[in-house]
Amino acid sequence: VSKLCVCDLLVAQCDVNCCCDPDCSAAEFSLFTTCSVPIVTGDSRLCSQKAAVYSLDVEANPPERIFELTDQVNPSIFCIHATNYKQALSFRSPEMPTSENFDQLLKQFGRASFRAEPDSWKMNTDAQNPDANKTHRYEHGVPVQTVDAFLRLPSPVVSSWCSDANPAGFLVNQATKCTRSVSVEECSNVEAVSMLFYMNSSILVVPKSSQTVNITVRSVVVQSLNGMRTLLNGSDVLRLPMLWDELCINIVLGVSYHITYTDAGEIIEAAASFVLGAINKEALSIQQSFEISFTQVNTEPVPLSGNPGYVVGLPVRAGFRPQGYPFPMEIPFAEFCIQNTNKYGQLTVLQSTSSQDCLAARGARTPVLFGYNMISGCKLRITAAMKCQPLAQTLLDLLKGQSFPEYVASFGNSQAQDVLDWVPITQLHTSERRISNAFQSSCQIPVSLEIEVKWTKYGSLVNLQARIVNVTAQISTLPWKQLPSGRERTIPVMSSVVFTDISSPAEPGYKAWPTINVKLPYDFFFPFV
Amino acid sequence: NSHQLPSLPLQILFYVNGIYYIFYFLATLAMIVYKSQALSYPDDFLAPDVTLLFIMAVLEALRLHLGSKGNLTEEEAPLGLSLVMTVGSVAGAVYFLLWQTYVLKADVILNAVLLFTYGLESVLKVMAIAAF
Repeated sequence: VSKLCVCDLLVAQCDVNCCCDPDCSAAEFSLFTTCSVPIVTGDSRLCSQKAAVYSLDVEANPPERIFELTDQVNPSIFCIHATNYKQALSFRSPEMPTSENFDQLLKQFGRASFRAEPDSWKMNTDAQNPDANKTHRYEHGVPVQTVDAFLRLPSPVVSSWCSDANPAGFLVNQATKCTRSVSVEECSNVEAVSMLFYMNSSILVVPKSSQTVNITVRSVVVQSLNGMRTLLNGSDVLRLPMLWDELCINIVLGVSYHITYTDAGEIIEAAASFVLGAINKEALSIQQSFEISFTQVNTEPVPLSGNPGYVVGLPVRAGFRPQGYPFPMEIPFAEFCIQNTNKYGQLTVLQSTSSQDCLAARGARTPVLFGYNMISGCKLRITAAMKCQPLAQTLLDLLKGQSFPEYVASFGNSQAQDVLDWVPITQLHTSERRISNAFQSSCQIPVSLEIEVKWTKYGSLVNLQARIVNVTAQISTLPWKQLPSGRERTIPVMSSVVFTDISSPAEPGYKAWPTINVKLPYDFFFPFV
Repeated sequence: NSHQLPSLPLQILFYVNGIYYIFYFLATLAMIVYKSQALSYPDDFLAPDVTLLFIMAVLEALRLHLGSKGNLTEEEAPLGLSLVMTVGSVAGAVYFLLWQTYVLKADVILNAVLLFTYGLESVLKVMAIAAF
């Protein structure tokens, strides 16, 4: 014990404040302030053991180190008096491998990890029989199984060449584009460009079942060499690639799968729309695009912008209320009409163009994406010949677009039937220079549209959802000043969208206190009651 | 010889020994359990200790019964047999005193008391046998 020193780290040098260091001399001891290791003992559970006690005597001048070898006694009645087991109180030194125990040691320690229990204790998961009667169903992300393997959605892997090993996941809407090498000579040999390749295997209704659903052809669009597309009637016919007049026609350029599923996780219908094209002798590769979308049965495929909260980057959903605003809310058939099924066309703002002339580039709109603040504008040249009223109307159309919606969905998946999930757009009008020029002409031309979307974080902290609370569309106008002839004026016209987060800080939610539900039984006081 | 009576001190000692042994058995078992939890006590060492304790308990019950019977019926044979079995019990107590895997201070105390009791008992038995 007197030779053990934990703080002696530096070899042949004195460690600071290490009273047990044999490399220190008395002069160095006098410079210490405390002893970092005051006592070195054996196992304290032993009844009596030797202890080396080090201390500094600061009273003496110079301070000197005191070393005592004492016997430390454990007063407990359960102190270890003696042991007959050699390795009891010290670490076991590992076995040295010899030629006899090498194989056994290799089996035990030869893998990447090993544990103390022998292998026979491993849980035998194979013994649990898979429940044959349990109904399987598709879950989100599970590959859609077909009779031979999986429903393939070719996609580029490392390079842009198509790989056929990408399975389509259930409820995962995907769109991929990749390049396939094909030439006119091997037109009918490459099976990945023929319709049959994408239609021949039937999809299993649920995983590991025997019921299948055939893939039907929904539509066939034929694209000519110069890019013009025509929809074909009578799309039941399977068109295989074939040589025709030095061209290879009926080459699959794009497939779009539409899968209909039920809410029990079964696939009940599968349809594919094809785009067929042609290649000529010079072509060495074609670009194919693939898409898959999932629709629940008996619902309209309304594209969601989030489920339920809005996802940043997806368009804000908006619509109209055909019956008009003061309609009573209790009527269950009050429905919103989402005017534009194009999900990017619901709430749009003016899009800046390179020409910067408001009147020249009309109709260029950009969708409002959730979370993205936008500002756009153009310049309006006012000449003397222009009249106020038609110009004001033109500008209003320009700023607001053809069909400016009245309501915005508060959640990304708000259904048209749920009246309370829709937030009305508050329209404000401000005009500049109202106080002065009270006698100016009352014709105002709108020059800016500011849409402010106030949103809040909704739900539990671990899974926050974005919810739109309030939308205001503010139109600022300028009073019209008739220009003298020959003069021109240029005014900027601007539109902006701002998303403001008005979420309140999170409140803790506690579970209800558990109540003690103790009641005496009915006949507890039997003889007396 | 009508003055021969069963030895009273021996009988008292048997009675006290019985009670003390029950206490000893439970205490030793509890301490073995404690040692197996608090210290490193592999199975190869635990099994002999526990087995020996149980064997010793059985031996002790038999020995006390034989000795008591022999003393009360004033017969030498059971008393002699009991004396022979005391040797086994002494061996057991010595094992638990010296050769157990872990000997705690409490173990030392318990086994020392037991050995002293055995010693006293043996002396009284010899005297009783000589008297009968």
